[in-house]
Amino acid sequence: MKKYAIKQLSIFVENKMGELTDITTLISKNNISFKSINLVDANEFGILRVIVDDSDKTKKVLDDEGFSLTITDVLAVEIDDHVGSFNEVITELSNNNINIEYTYTINNNQKGAFVFKVASSDLLNAAEVLHNSNIKILEEI
Amino acid sequence: MIWNQIESSSREKIEEVQLKRLQETAQRVYSLTPFYKKKFDELKITPNDIKSLDDISKLPFTKKQDLRDHYPFGLFTVPNNEIVRIHSSSGTTGKPTVVGYNKEDMDLWDEVMARVYTMAGATAEDTVHNAYGYGLFTGGLGFHNGAYKVGATVIPSSGGFTDRQVMLMKDFSATILASTPSFALHMAESAKKAGMNFKKDFKLKAGIFGAEPTSDGLKDEVSKTWGIDYHEVYGLSEIIGPGVSCSCKHSNLLHIFEDHFFAEIINSETGEVLPDGQRGELVFTTLTKQALPLIRYRTGDITSLTHEPCACGRTMVRMESIVGRADDMMIINGVNVYPSQVEHVISQTEGLTLNYQIVIDKKGHLDKLEILVEVSDEVMADSIAAMGKLKTDIETAILNNLYVNASVKLVVPRTIERSMGKAVRIIDKRVLEGN
Repeated sequence: MKKYAIKQLSIFVENKMGELTDITTLISKNNISFKSINLVDANEFGILRVIVDDSDKTKKVLDDEGFSLTITDVLAVEIDDHVGSFNEVITELSNNNINIEYTYTINNNQKGAFVFKVASSDLLNAAEVLHNSNIKILEEI
Repeated sequence: MIWNQIESSSREKIEEVQLKRLQETAQRVYSLTPFYKKKFDELKITPNDIKSLDDISKLPFTKKQDLRDHYPFGLFTVPNNEIVRIHSSSGTTGKPTVVGYNKEDMDLWDEVMARVYTMAGATAEDTVHNAYGYGLFTGGLGFHNGAYKVGATVIPSSGGFTDRQVMLMKDFSATILASTPSFALHMAESAKKAGMNFKKDFKLKAGIFGAEPTSDGLKDEVSKTWGIDYHEVYGLSEIIGPGVSCSCKHSNLLHIFEDHFFAEIINSETGEVLPDGQRGELVFTTLTKQALPLIRYRTGDITSLTHEPCACGRTMVRMESIVGRADDMMIINGVNVYPSQVEHVISQTEGLTLNYQIVIDKKGHLDKLEILVEVSDEVMADSIAAMGKLKTDIETAILNNLYVNASVKLVVPRTIERSMGKAVRIIDKRVLEGN
């Protein structure tokens, strides 16, 4: 089930002008492609969560420029285009006492995906539960 | 009005009292404090070498660190059961500076505070609104006991709850305000907002302000806003607390109660004693303290002295309002804070680097302390809640260790300004015009 863990980079950002551009410019300049971008913010700071095509290289590039980040394993499932598809995923996890810490959706090549984070101790279990329910988990996005 | 005749005695009389007391104090510490015995021995002197007041320059200095090294009671010269009061200030590495008083010391403190109140025109007819913090800090209780000594009514309001304090000050018809100058202005704002009339609603005639560096501009502002006489009080817990010196209504200079506290100005670097008019580090030798006598204690405060006579009739030496510090101590809303204390808290927080910056600014009339902390990979978490907790944990640790409120701002690494590769630690945006 480990193959389903997708590496997401969570980067610390301050809530100030130009902060986001600094990071995106740096990543583009190094020919790294974003697969998803999600920004959450508290009052004074935020966390930029990105999935890229080369997470090791991205980490190195950001570390060298002095950004702080941490790598987190997340799961992604393909969005099936029918009413209630989200609900099925959440219900399966909920029935198995797995709590979703946060989630966001992405759109790649006309296909959508539902990215979510569970406690790292629940990750393999969550993948197994979804797999057994015939929900399509993505190995990469 | 002058509380004690000695305050207006001749120079000869004052010096006679000082010399006798200095000899007694030197004898006291030499025979009762191993720390001083060792220091005297190293300098090859004994109390008998003090034959004139000038001989004080032969005596060793005492530093704040010496008090910390003997934490908590190592420099006390009376048995613990004789101690009737302990006060303490926050420490640099978790250990506070501790001071103790026996019964005679408390009487001495009351005496000098009675002189302060009298200098500000307070008598038994007055009501004192005491907004200095009550507790380990010497401000609250020092002012409290002094008011009792002159027979005034004291309202022990302590700090905080500004709106309520303003209401009580009005309703109880306080005539004397004792507070930090910035809190006095903060209260004025609150009174203004409540639509109060400073002339009609308040009976205040004078204020006794201290515990923080104050420019002439700020003094004028407090004095004009409230329409009261401004008296500046100076003190430090190591010497007694508030009541070491105070200004009368004739000038901004502060009369030092030098029959109890012998003042010198020295060159901070060389230790050389400087003459009247020259600025340097203020040094005190306690002449009558029993529980914790201190010899040539270095206050770290920069000022100058003058022996010129004052129109009020007092003859005691006067000092300028403090113009700066010989070290990096900061004063935040009346509380002494050293950058090393902030550093200690940060170093105790796992994963944080020592790249931090202290920014002090004014929010309204109060000081605002902000600490910028760089987020390292080690403390970075993929959760807003966890990052928020990191911020509040540091704020709580600062409050517990330094007794001041700080707001912590998490910043991206390497964003804190570096000067010659070294982080610029302190940015003080408070402007002290006039100094």
